[in-house]
Amino acid sequence: MSETNFRIGRSRAPAPSPARPRRAGLIGSAVGLVLVLVATASVATTVTSAKSRLEHPDSPGQQAVAVADDAEVAYCTPAFKQVLQRVLNACGLVGTEQRRGCQPADVKTFASINDDDFNALFTPLRDRGAVILFDENSDVLDDGGKALLQQKWQERKGARYFFVVARASRDGTTEGNRALSHKRANSVLFHLKEATNDPDLDMQVGILWLGSEFAQLSKSFCGWPNSRSDKACTPEAINRSAFVSWVDCRL
Amino acid sequence: MRQSSARRAAFVAVAAAVLGFVFAAYSTYDYAEQLDRQVHAVHCSFVPGAPVSTDGDNPCKTALFSPYSALFRATWWGGVPISLFALGAFSFFAGFGVYLALSERASNRSFGFYATVAWAPVVASVVMFAISVVRLHVFCKLCVGIYLCTLVLAVAATLAWHAKYTEDLALATTAPGDYGAPSSRQSGSAVLLWLACLGVASVLPAAAYVALLPDYRPLIGKCGQLKVTTEVHKGLLKLPTAHPVRPVLLFEDPLCPTCKAFHERLVDEGIFDRLDVTLVMFPLDSECNWMLDRSLHPGACVLAKAVLCGEGGGARAILEWTFDNQEDLRELGKKGSSFLEAKIAERWGSDLAACIGRPQTTTLLNQHLHFAANNHIPVSTPQMFLGDKRICDEDTDLGLKYTLAQLAPEVLP
Repeated sequence: MSETNFRIGRSRAPAPSPARPRRAGLIGSAVGLVLVLVATASVATTVTSAKSRLEHPDSPGQQAVAVADDAEVAYCTPAFKQVLQRVLNACGLVGTEQRRGCQPADVKTFASINDDDFNALFTPLRDRGAVILFDENSDVLDDGGKALLQQKWQERKGARYFFVVARASRDGTTEGNRALSHKRANSVLFHLKEATNDPDLDMQVGILWLGSEFAQLSKSFCGWPNSRSDKACTPEAINRSAFVSWVDCRL
Repeated sequence: MRQSSARRAAFVAVAAAVLGFVFAAYSTYDYAEQLDRQVHAVHCSFVPGAPVSTDGDNPCKTALFSPYSALFRATWWGGVPISLFALGAFSFFAGFGVYLALSERASNRSFGFYATVAWAPVVASVVMFAISVVRLHVFCKLCVGIYLCTLVLAVAATLAWHAKYTEDLALATTAPGDYGAPSSRQSGSAVLLWLACLGVASVLPAAAYVALLPDYRPLIGKCGQLKVTTEVHKGLLKLPTAHPVRPVLLFEDPLCPTCKAFHERLVDEGIFDRLDVTLVMFPLDSECNWMLDRSLHPGACVLAKAVLCGEGGGARAILEWTFDNQEDLRELGKKGSSFLEAKIAERWGSDLAACIGRPQTTTLLNQHLHFAANNHIPVSTPQMFLGDKRICDEDTDLGLKYTLAQLAPEVLP
């Protein structure tokens, strides 16, 4: 298509007034210019406004974002956390590279509470933890004990610390029971080390051995999950044990 | 006097240009609003002036945050939205259309010019439409509005030209005359002038936008850093990439739509394969993640375990499968873990499904979550750490390319 196609005639038609195309051109240009200027101005306003909000953010409108952390559940009362903190400090889990555990005398000193109150602190852990039972005068974990221990270890979720509280029944001497409960605590620890090969284990597991002289368990603890649920539970049997549990508290 | 067909068609073109201008204005406004690095709703309607869309993830938001919505992203934070060029171009087309519609003796050449250049936006629309189909899999209503306007504009301009040609031919046959038509040289100059006007109009809003952009450099990389850089169990997942040149740590949730968009952005921009990726699974599902009191993405724990079970070459494929099938998997996740496990077994085999159920896999996922807890990161996904430096959330979408150009230019292709 080209304009030359219709420039072929010889007789001339009267040409329209040049004022109209010029006016149309002016109107068209004005429309285009106004739209471009409106667009540019509105862009400038929007960007400037965003810049202002960026430099002066409206802080009340900003929503606080939760921060990832260890679990903290309802049983983490101030009293519970106080004892826990003392255990962690005294038993070497906090502030030192080496875990060393706690002896009955230490526990008596740092817990500063009587036997029943000490045991009551652990009541909320009934379903979270378990009682690993041992034979009389033995620190050997049986298969049921190992299985339950590994099961509980794998149920960590958000907990930071795993507690092992070993005891002995009152059958033998105080010194002997102290040593026996220490061995039972170590049996648990060594099995976890062997089974999990976890390099962080020493910083997670806190062990206490109470011998037979502090915080003996009553027969009511026979109702807690234990590794010999098919066997008779006596007051002596429930204390030939190591109570294990993850603790869902932040410290 | 009776209006000619050419001028009527020109009026239609003007209407299309004005409507396109309005759509482009809303699109530009929504984009520019994000420059404050806060969260804003966007418009998503065929009705100009309709209120912003209330649903969090609508197609217009997907398009806006896609890598295709702006140019020069590495040079300016967020880049220059392409709607800005549309805004200027529609202004020109409206103005020129008004001229053609009002002028009784606009030349055939001016109609020809209008019809020719009016197809340029259609080409752009076709390209963007293809991207919507092939890459985004969604249709943004504002964008579709613009596509339709460009099409109507081009068709109307072409019809106007054709009508003008026919009318002139008829007039030449019955009353031939020269009408003082410009010489070929004059016409050529006019075309160049119009093209220059089109260029200036298209660029002017973009130039103003760029000139007024805030300086984002002081804000980049100021969103914290990792406190613990290594995971003692060495349980974090390495994702193989083609040419890793910079270590990066990604916290991801397989059912999180933003993670999917982020992953696709990295892949589409050619960045992902230049990253040395360590993946930390951070499912926002209370079934395994104690940091939530309710599941935001039920089933995400199962899928996170599936990714962990694909350690080696399979992890990336499984992660991308979860992203590609996110909607279906999310629905299955709401029904229960067993439905998801069946789906995984169907796609990846029974060995992988069995791996999900192993205690070791649960422990591994737990180690990932504890890594997040030890670093006290915000409970949100996705998160990207370049080395130990956290990239701000705002810089993982619109500002991603600019931020990487500033902090790690070697990862940009």
